[in-house]
Amino acid sequence: MLEIKSLHASVGGKEILRGINLTVNAGEVHAIMGPNGSGKSTLSNVIAGRDGYEVTQGEVIYKGDNLLNMAIEERAQRGVFLAFQYPVEIPGVSNIYLLKAALNAVRKHQGLDDLDAIDFLTLVRSKLELVKMDEQFLHRGVNEGFSGGEKKRNEILQMALLEPSLAILDETDSGLDIDALKTVSDGINALRSPDRSIVMITHYQRLLDYVVPDFVHVLSKGRIVKSGDKELAKELEKTGYSWVNTETEGLPA
Amino acid sequence: MKQLTELATPFASVADSLPLVGNEFPWLNALRQQATSQFNIDGLPAKKVEDWKYTSLWSLAQQSFTHDADKFSLDAQQCDQIALLVDAYRLVIVDGEFSQGLSSVDALPAGLSITSLSTSLTNVEHVLGKQVDLAKAGLTALNTMLMNEGVVVTVATDVHIEKPIELLVINSGNTEGLATHLRNVITLERNSKATIIEHYVGLSDDNYFTNVVTEVVLAEKAELNHYKLQQESKNAFHIATLAAKQAANSQWKTNNISLGAKLARNDVHSQLLGEQAHVVMDGLYLVNNDQHIDNHTRIDHGVPNTTSEELYKGVLEDNSHAVFNGKVIVHKDAQKTDANQQNHNLLLSRGCEIDSKPEMEIYADDVKCGHGSTVGQINENQLFFLRARGLDEVTARSLLTYAFAVDVLERIPYEDIRQALSVVIEQRLPRGGK
Repeated sequence: MLEIKSLHASVGGKEILRGINLTVNAGEVHAIMGPNGSGKSTLSNVIAGRDGYEVTQGEVIYKGDNLLNMAIEERAQRGVFLAFQYPVEIPGVSNIYLLKAALNAVRKHQGLDDLDAIDFLTLVRSKLELVKMDEQFLHRGVNEGFSGGEKKRNEILQMALLEPSLAILDETDSGLDIDALKTVSDGINALRSPDRSIVMITHYQRLLDYVVPDFVHVLSKGRIVKSGDKELAKELEKTGYSWVNTETEGLPA
Repeated sequence: MKQLTELATPFASVADSLPLVGNEFPWLNALRQQATSQFNIDGLPAKKVEDWKYTSLWSLAQQSFTHDADKFSLDAQQCDQIALLVDAYRLVIVDGEFSQGLSSVDALPAGLSITSLSTSLTNVEHVLGKQVDLAKAGLTALNTMLMNEGVVVTVATDVHIEKPIELLVINSGNTEGLATHLRNVITLERNSKATIIEHYVGLSDDNYFTNVVTEVVLAEKAELNHYKLQQESKNAFHIATLAAKQAANSQWKTNNISLGAKLARNDVHSQLLGEQAHVVMDGLYLVNNDQHIDNHTRIDHGVPNTTSEELYKGVLEDNSHAVFNGKVIVHKDAQKTDANQQNHNLLLSRGCEIDSKPEMEIYADDVKCGHGSTVGQINENQLFFLRARGLDEVTARSLLTYAFAVDVLERIPYEDIRQALSVVIEQRLPRGGK
């Protein structure tokens, strides 16, 4: 599904990612953990294609093609989904309009016709239930006046509707109270499937209690310094990230 | 030099040669005479005049216009397509002439009167000209000198009209360089209510000149929802004055949407003359290529306890130029005035220019007044978000532009009018719709 090879990337001339190697197979759930400034968000932004991130070396192969050569929207249309750490508010664009436009963009890429209004609404309603959102959220501006938890649930709603092949969840657990965390986790778990891969980027271990990953990687100073299973996350929770920094200091850049 | 001296169209002598309506009314002749004298003094304002600093009428002055329209007939079906609303009382003016056949003003409810100006001059003697100032730099004197048609709407005391009224003013493009000077008079008597849309449409790319003055009189407790949609030809001049006097407890909600014309100027003025009078003065301008649009608004809070809300938004593209000058004057005794004025602009190209000048003159000491003005570009985070959801860049930009613009329709209480206007705005967006 996803193969990241020796990925180096800079922001404003400063190298943030310094040789990431990661393989994610279909059906797997990976967690990428790391302290602040380790490059977690840079990695998700590079995969999604945000401006301002310069890839200086390496490649990101998605389903056999180099993702880095594709426009932002093409990545999305091909099934790559980024759940935003800070979902933006777009007053004046209703949530339902966004959902419809996004779904139809993906369907068009797949050679499918637009869903008609009734089928679309039926589909959206079933997804709303999954994230426990009221239908009135559909008619509000995208994330406009939403609480932190509502914004994150809205991200999961979009993911559930678009059914991506690869989902990158960037700090989806940040700013959530325990109930919202559970709802969001249920939503993510419902989307686990043998042909879908999920990469969760997180600072804390607590999300991983609810969405249990197959693999856990520790990112430090732009590189994966340790990989393991869910036990690694628990270890991190106990010991913090300080050992990570010490351990990596001796490595060549 | 306060005026443009070289006029390709000798407007003053045109007034002598034209068969002007109403020359049997001494009061009207006197008013026209006064206007002619004023025009002879002021002419067309030059950029030296403060209120015309950013808008040059030089190209208008250079143009030779005719006041003699060739006959043109439009069929009812075409007219239906041009109109904004399907279900409305409609009065149609084509190339400066009232069209009885295309209008639907015969079967009106009791208390509502919609007539052409030329047939109702006997009824407007005490209203016409009273809301505007002939001496104010602009084209009102020219309009008064040459006005030959328009619409007179009157709603009687306690009458509430639900169905909207559309004043449809069409330039067919059949007469090259046609100048029309229209005067509309809208009167809402005590505790009456109506919704009126002024709609200006050019059917060609012709160069022509629409000069319109609309006067609004709102008696106590009267409530007028008033919208203007300007879709003139891309080579036309559109100069409009819209002025209202509002008595106590009256409400005027106006929204001024400018899409067309090569050069357009709106002067919108509300005088709040009775306590608890309220005005909502909104507007939107979408300009591209080398279009020039100038909105000058003015709200006079003349007595205590009046309120005003104003929101003008603009979207500029290519080498277009827009001007917003909004003046709010709180007079000496107008305590407890509540006034808010906003002007926000979205610039889509490097070549466009906005001159935004919000002004507040406050002579009372117990008031709540605020204003703001912004100029910005498409938000890159929003753009990235939409693209990351699969929308291509052109669609995403267009959608964000639409979202910015359509915001000014929020205060229109009628869903069908809001819907009709949002469709028009969507079609006019850069690169084709949301």
